[in-house]
Amino acid sequence: MISPETLVFGVLAALGLISMVATFMAVMERDLLKAVLFSAVQSTAYAFMFYILMAPDILLVYVPVAVGLYPAVILFLIKKTERFEGGEEG
Amino acid sequence: MRRAYKYAVLTAMIVSTLALALAVSAGGLGYALPFPAVRNLAYWYLKTTYNPFMPKFTASAPEAVTAIVWDYRGLDTLFETSVFFLAIIASMALMRGIDVRVPKSINLNKYGMSAIVKTVTKITVAVILAASASIALHGQLTPGGGFQGGATAAVAPLVIIVIFSLYFAVGSGVKKKSMLTLRTLGLLGIGVTSFAVVVAGLILGKATYIFQNQPKEAAPVGFPSHILGVPMGGTLLLFNVFEFLAVAAGFTIVFLLLSVPEESVRRVLGGGEEHD
Amino acid sequence: MIDVNTFLFSVLVFSLIMNLGISLYGIFWRPSLVKKIIALTILGDTANVLAIVVGYRAWIAPNRPPIPPVLTTWKPTAADLSRFSSLAVDPLPQALVLTAVVIGLAVTVFLVFLTIQVYRLHGTTDVRKIAKLKG
Repeated sequence: MISPETLVFGVLAALGLISMVATFMAVMERDLLKAVLFSAVQSTAYAFMFYILMAPDILLVYVPVAVGLYPAVILFLIKKTERFEGGEEG
Repeated sequence: MRRAYKYAVLTAMIVSTLALALAVSAGGLGYALPFPAVRNLAYWYLKTTYNPFMPKFTASAPEAVTAIVWDYRGLDTLFETSVFFLAIIASMALMRGIDVRVPKSINLNKYGMSAIVKTVTKITVAVILAASASIALHGQLTPGGGFQGGATAAVAPLVIIVIFSLYFAVGSGVKKKSMLTLRTLGLLGIGVTSFAVVVAGLILGKATYIFQNQPKEAAPVGFPSHILGVPMGGTLLLFNVFEFLAVAAGFTIVFLLLSVPEESVRRVLGGGEEHD
Repeated sequence: MIDVNTFLFSVLVFSLIMNLGISLYGIFWRPSLVKKIIALTILGDTANVLAIVVGYRAWIAPNRPPIPPVLTTWKPTAADLSRFSSLAVDPLPQALVLTAVVIGLAVTVFLVFLTIQVYRLHGTTDVRKIAKLKG
């Protein structure tokens, strides 16, 4: 029915839209913990994009770095500083 | 007035981003769909990365990306490793004087998470270390390599510090100094490997160059390309192993610095500043 | 009117550039230092994905997708090599993106330590309050 090429490009377009929504919610969210989680969702969408674009070396770097190490380091940072943007008013 | 200015700038940013996105996706990059042929440089790299018909001109690694990273463009990777090292040194300099003091009589069972989590972590850490070593070792044959394995192996000390406790990690020898020693050993290994062929060439009296991997037309000294019939990639294997060691140790230093509790920091910073 | 594949690929490129714009807004307009760091990592990652998208290759036939730049036989014939170089994706952007990911990670780690030190010395991570302090 639909050719494999259209299917692959359709999946890429869907992943692009998911990453756009996740980026918007990560930037607009005032609770920094939820912002880090949205950024991890966006990194997962990018990791799928790297796999479909036939770049397995970059995928093997990107999954531990952007889904594992960046949220861990920023979570340490949030624990040591403030959790809500603009003070603790919530 | 400030409000109107702010909203004007914001609208300009949104409009220009939308216009740029539409222009690029409709053909601004020179095409709307990718080309069916690659550029000449990429064609040359793909043709010569593992070509037994041109033994004086090939890189002898079936994996093109690792060959480009460590053989064709090895100097780029050297400077990238030094940038990473500089970032770690700068972070250590920012946090100097702050050290974790493990009390003499400490009951480690009281710290950390429950027994179920600890048992599962013991199995998971072994699996993580084995998988990351495998990724680093076969970097010249399949997708993988030194940095990929090192970043995966850096998850293991993070998990140990969070689940067991920082005192357990420091108590079993994972200290800043020992990890810095490991990292320096890894970087020294990279330096020695990049000069290995030069030293061999000087001894034999032939011309060589730094970062050389395979024998070339005018520089006929190099590493053996196949060992027992398996392509070993020459310097690529050694570079991957040393980079794995260096990256894993570097990330462990970062996590050790980040997980110091704030009370011991306040003691160093002079009893806590008065914040207003 | 317009080809379906072209439209879908344009949607991908459009969403990536919109990500660039949104993360730039996050860096400039949000007052918290931690939010700026998060938006900076998103900006760097989006630039890397754009580089890999530029290195992609079109399908030469509807059931022959491009292959990753890894040779899978250890005793290739000349036909193997020419098939490999006519189907494989560009390996050079992938090597450059590898370097870029590592450098972005180094910069982010250093920025995190700087932010911790700013919080310890001034008690806040809000740039509006920090700008009002004197020294």
